[in-house]
Amino acid sequence: MSHVETASRPNPGASSPRTDAAIEAVEITKHFGSTQALHGVTFTVPRGSVFGVIGPNGAGKTTTMRALLDIIRPSSGHATVLGTDSRNAGPELRRRIGFLPGELILEGRITGRKLLQHYADISGPVRTGHIDELAERFHLDLGQPVRKLSRGNKQKLGIVQAFMHEPELLVLDEPTSGLDPLMQQEFLLLVKEARDAGQTVFLSSHVISEIQQAADEVAILRDGRIITVASVEALRQTAVRHLRMTATGIRPADLAERLGGLDGMAGLVCTAVTSQTGAAATEATATLEGAIQPFIQAVSTLSLTDLVLEEPDLEESVLALYTAPGESAESHRAARATRKVRGTRAERKESK
Amino acid sequence: MTASTATDVRRAPLPIFGKAFADGRRAMLGWGIGIAAAIFLYLPLYPSMIGTSEMQKLIDSLPRALIRTLNYDQISTGAGYTQATVFGLIGFLLIGIASIGWGAAMLGGDEESGQLELTLAHGVTRVQVVVERFAALVLKILLITALMFVLIALLNGPSQLGIDVGYLAQTCLLFAGLVLLCGSVAMLGGALTGRRVWGIGAGAFVAVVGYVFNALGNQSADLEWLHGLSPYYWAFGNYPMTNGGTPIAFVAFYGGSLLVAAATALVLRQRDIGV
Repeated sequence: MSHVETASRPNPGASSPRTDAAIEAVEITKHFGSTQALHGVTFTVPRGSVFGVIGPNGAGKTTTMRALLDIIRPSSGHATVLGTDSRNAGPELRRRIGFLPGELILEGRITGRKLLQHYADISGPVRTGHIDELAERFHLDLGQPVRKLSRGNKQKLGIVQAFMHEPELLVLDEPTSGLDPLMQQEFLLLVKEARDAGQTVFLSSHVISEIQQAADEVAILRDGRIITVASVEALRQTAVRHLRMTATGIRPADLAERLGGLDGMAGLVCTAVTSQTGAAATEATATLEGAIQPFIQAVSTLSLTDLVLEEPDLEESVLALYTAPGESAESHRAARATRKVRGTRAERKESK
Repeated sequence: MTASTATDVRRAPLPIFGKAFADGRRAMLGWGIGIAAAIFLYLPLYPSMIGTSEMQKLIDSLPRALIRTLNYDQISTGAGYTQATVFGLIGFLLIGIASIGWGAAMLGGDEESGQLELTLAHGVTRVQVVVERFAALVLKILLITALMFVLIALLNGPSQLGIDVGYLAQTCLLFAGLVLLCGSVAMLGGALTGRRVWGIGAGAFVAVVGYVFNALGNQSADLEWLHGLSPYYWAFGNYPMTNGGTPIAFVAFYGGSLLVAAATALVLRQRDIGV
């Protein structure tokens, strides 16, 4: 740990060793009666990173988080959180964690400020003025009784509650739910600042778009199992890009031949069109998975009049993992090939 | 704003206790007004009741079983009248409901609303939460009972009740113990199930069964054994306003409540919260 780091980090996270993982979950299972919520969940969250877990509702995200906080006890397996076994961990551990529950229900006449003060009394100390700073960032009125707050404002109060004591680890269950897009951006900024300050963030969502901006690594959870853990960059690599191009001086069949053999190319449709200048042209649409370099090389000698290669849609590739865990990559590709047009998420689900 | 920022770094001692107590202030006031109204309604009537032969005739004309059920058999003395009306009937009803409501809300209601999950994710232990909230329950009940003591002592002279203040104090403590036991069981019921309504059910069971067993036990010698199972009888069967309380009753109530609280802590330690 360098001097620069310690000087710029007022939070307690800076003072503890950063060699070990912030969270190490080993084969956690959990039964609720006859239903099994978690089937041996194993993952590691490095210190100072932002780790996202995504999965559909009921995948076990909340259960995993509650197990880390010792709110529920795993049926088997264990988790080490900030170097301490989470089970029956003392209050000292939880003081170093900020937690935002997935279903934040706040009731009563108590004002937001008093409620935050109460939790500061338990888990503090809280830096003077920090609560007000956070509240101002989120345009949150702390004088209101909590029961009168809207869903979004309750969520903001929950976020302030989790961040106010600058904990080493933040465990945030669906943190952006109920927030408007502007506040979602503010939240993602807060997460970035936390990481820059050496804090570790473990957050969940059922949509990757919320996480992909903030997270370094993403675990995909489905039916109580982790399907894959990958960096956002790696997901991006495997993610499918939609491409659309128009070239003149080449017949559809030739273009199809040139592009069809490329790795990761699927759903290729080449049609003859007339370009804006009136010349004969060929338009191709397809999806492309993996590296784009071979594709660029293949089209480099063509006279292109239009080329659109979209930002990879992580959500789409992740949805494929949600819904088709056992299928091979080939069948993934085949499934994708049937979808030529980007539809809404509902349509995508239907198509499977 | 200055006041708040000044307190931001403060870490209050016993925060769970403080909040559990402070949250119920408004309700406390309501229950206090209720019990005060009942006391001011019943006790000033006493002088006009005993002096008149009509009242005695009325009491005599009532079926013996009814008088025993209502515990009106010692109603002709000020002490007996106060015990039967204030402690044995309206006070037991009002403060019993209050205590059971508080007890059921403290863990069962809190878990149901999702707040307990958040609280337990902070720097507390579950045992600490139970202990501090139980302490808040005890304090609330003792404060209400203290109010009853003061009001009855004030009316003692004007209403010609002739109550021994020492016995009044003992009766107040027995009464507090009785409602505390009901409230503790409500707390345990809430901790076991995570539901407020089961807490209320458990607490009400102790209160109602205690009352019914006392009434049944009063009816005949064959049923007197039911008195042994009736917390209500443990409190009032020996006429504490006239004779003082028995040590065993104090032990039963306060020791029993502590045991129930300990069981609550054990139960909450084991459970998955909010599932």
